[in-house]
Amino acid sequence: MRSAVLENDIQRVIELARKGERVDGRKADEMRPLKVEIGFAENAEGSAKVTLGETVVLAGLKVEVGTPYPDSQDEGSISVGAEALPLAHAEYESGRPSAYEVEVSRVIDRGLRESKAIDFKELCIKEGEAVWVAYLDIYALNGQGNLFDAGSIAALVTFQNSKMPKIDKENKIVKGEYSGSIKLKRLPLLTTFVKVGGKIFTDPSYMEEKAAEARFSVATTDDDYMSAMQKGHGGSFTVDEVNYMIEEGFKNTEKIRKQLKKDKLL
Amino acid sequence: MTKQIVIPGELISDERKRLGSNVFVSEGKIYSKVFGITDKQNETADVVPLEGQYIPRSEDAVIGIVDRVIFAGYGIDINSAAKSFIPKSAMRNEIRLGDVIAAKIQGVNEVKEAELTYPKVLSRGEVIEITPVRSPRLIGKNGSMLNLLQEGTDSEIFVGKNGRVWAREGNIELLKKVVKFIDENSYKSNLTNAVEEFFKKQKVKTNGKKS
Amino acid sequence: MEKKADYKKSKKRLDDRKMDELRPLKIKVGVIPNAEGSAYLEWGQNKVYAAVYGPREALPKHTANSLKAVVKVEYRMTAFSVPERKRPGPNRRDQEISKVLSEALAEAVFVEQFPNTEIGVYVEVVDSNAGSRVACLAAASCALADAGIPMKDMVAATGVGKAYGELVLDLNKDEEDAPDAVDIPIAILPNSEEIVLLQMDGLLTKKEWEGVVRLGIKGCKQVYEVQKKALQEKFVLGEAKTKDLEEKVKGAKE
Repeated sequence: MRSAVLENDIQRVIELARKGERVDGRKADEMRPLKVEIGFAENAEGSAKVTLGETVVLAGLKVEVGTPYPDSQDEGSISVGAEALPLAHAEYESGRPSAYEVEVSRVIDRGLRESKAIDFKELCIKEGEAVWVAYLDIYALNGQGNLFDAGSIAALVTFQNSKMPKIDKENKIVKGEYSGSIKLKRLPLLTTFVKVGGKIFTDPSYMEEKAAEARFSVATTDDDYMSAMQKGHGGSFTVDEVNYMIEEGFKNTEKIRKQLKKDKLL
Repeated sequence: MTKQIVIPGELISDERKRLGSNVFVSEGKIYSKVFGITDKQNETADVVPLEGQYIPRSEDAVIGIVDRVIFAGYGIDINSAAKSFIPKSAMRNEIRLGDVIAAKIQGVNEVKEAELTYPKVLSRGEVIEITPVRSPRLIGKNGSMLNLLQEGTDSEIFVGKNGRVWAREGNIELLKKVVKFIDENSYKSNLTNAVEEFFKKQKVKTNGKKS
Repeated sequence: MEKKADYKKSKKRLDDRKMDELRPLKIKVGVIPNAEGSAYLEWGQNKVYAAVYGPREALPKHTANSLKAVVKVEYRMTAFSVPERKRPGPNRRDQEISKVLSEALAEAVFVEQFPNTEIGVYVEVVDSNAGSRVACLAAASCALADAGIPMKDMVAATGVGKAYGELVLDLNKDEEDAPDAVDIPIAILPNSEEIVLLQMDGLLTKKEWEGVVRLGIKGCKQVYEVQKKALQEKFVLGEAKTKDLEEKVKGAKE
């Protein structure tokens, strides 16, 4: 429908990129302004609203008492899902999760899980019988690029500001009463890059994602570990480019954690 | 100030009046159809919409973008749910996907397709988008606003009624910001004066820099 | 979980409201920049977003109506909007609510003005406590107005019914769980008081209904005032100022 209009806009992004410029005037390694609020969903065990430039995502945590897997009788589990709501962009459709939504969900999940930020043994209620199953659901409310990083920040802040329900002697949740919270052992965050017109840009806008030849995300922690990487969208990167992006990932997430700590969200 | 904001279904007048746009009559009273601005002292009951898509009307000048190229002609995106088409015979030269054209709406048929005439290719330049219902403010009374913009930025400018402005050369970056300002303040009074003042001051600044 | 109460005796509700009092209601329009019209609404604990895309080409093509626009509402709730997590994906309740909301809004919109098109209305509940569907309807109506879509009236909605022995306006969750609870979502076109949405759960006498419908219409009109205010607040009439333009140009240059 509007494809030709989009094509013209994409061409403009690429032309500017070849000169090292971005449509919104940002530097190549610059992230958009970030704003984070918590607690809007009172029925949730934790929630956060993240605004990254014009991208807005909502995240919420719900926990349930479940039975452990046979091969990990003393461990609980987490499950991360992301959805690009049709609310958020004329292009987003409702229905089964698209390949993009599945990718976003799994990359954010991996960043958290592989970093061992959550000790699943701490989610055990009674070995062999009852464990906590934590569901983190992320929704795009206004889609203007980079659901990866916005979702990753929302997930981290939600877990860090969560409250666990109290349970009774029969391991059933006591409504309205809370006891303790999930304690994160480290703070992994994603940084996503795109290659446009041969240049690497941090925190792609919607148009930059559309104009991209390739995309890359890396999860980095506050104690100098990388916990996930994902190359997406086709195209290719040189080793030097990947090294650059990893370095930028550490720098970028350091800045984000600093801001969140200042706002008492981490 | 006699102007006021009205919402859909809000009463404009319970007397008989001439009917303008975006109003309807029910049981002898006149109501607004849209979220917009009306002047109750006006002799005509009329509402100027504050928001809304472009709805093609005959005689409107529009800026279209070539959306589709088929054997018979070109599908043109005119920034509306209504589609439009130009037969190959109407174009002197071939045009391509993504080309920008100026045209006039000749008519709108029963299935809401717009027929375009006088297509003219707008080469180079950039297309700037604004809220379609606010396009008239970019032209102003007797073209007063458009003149200010052209003189103030030295750009060649063409304004379409369909929420698109095309500009070539001159200070396009400045033009974009002024157009955004007009878009955001379209409903306010004194708009043309404010823009005129701004450009006067700009001129003094640049003249000052020159000397 | 049932709470015990007797409203005839206490003359006050569990949350201290009067029988004909709405929970606090706030609305803000123009909150989702990508959408053509949008609104955010808080009503008691309910928090909902509404976004409008359209009129646009109706797809798939077989859903198009050559005489009018099709108003398509999709009602959804986030997994964390309810006390016990809701599994992703629409369930039958979501589908039914989507249908009745579409029908209500289609009554208000001048659909004949946009044949062969679809007006997509997406409502998402992100936190809830009874009355999410009428909250979504009130928000959707504001989002449609914000999109510039012509309507013969706003659609004003509320919950009304009976709980703990009294007819009450805008039941909260505790009241919905009352043993004698009757829950009636109702929506009207305020000018004509035509009812465009009406559902009921529970047992009610005809006499009680007469009281309920009047109370419901009264409640809808209160909601209408909040909707109107939200739209009016989007724009502040006044004079355009040169210095605002100067700041805009300067700020963007840096």
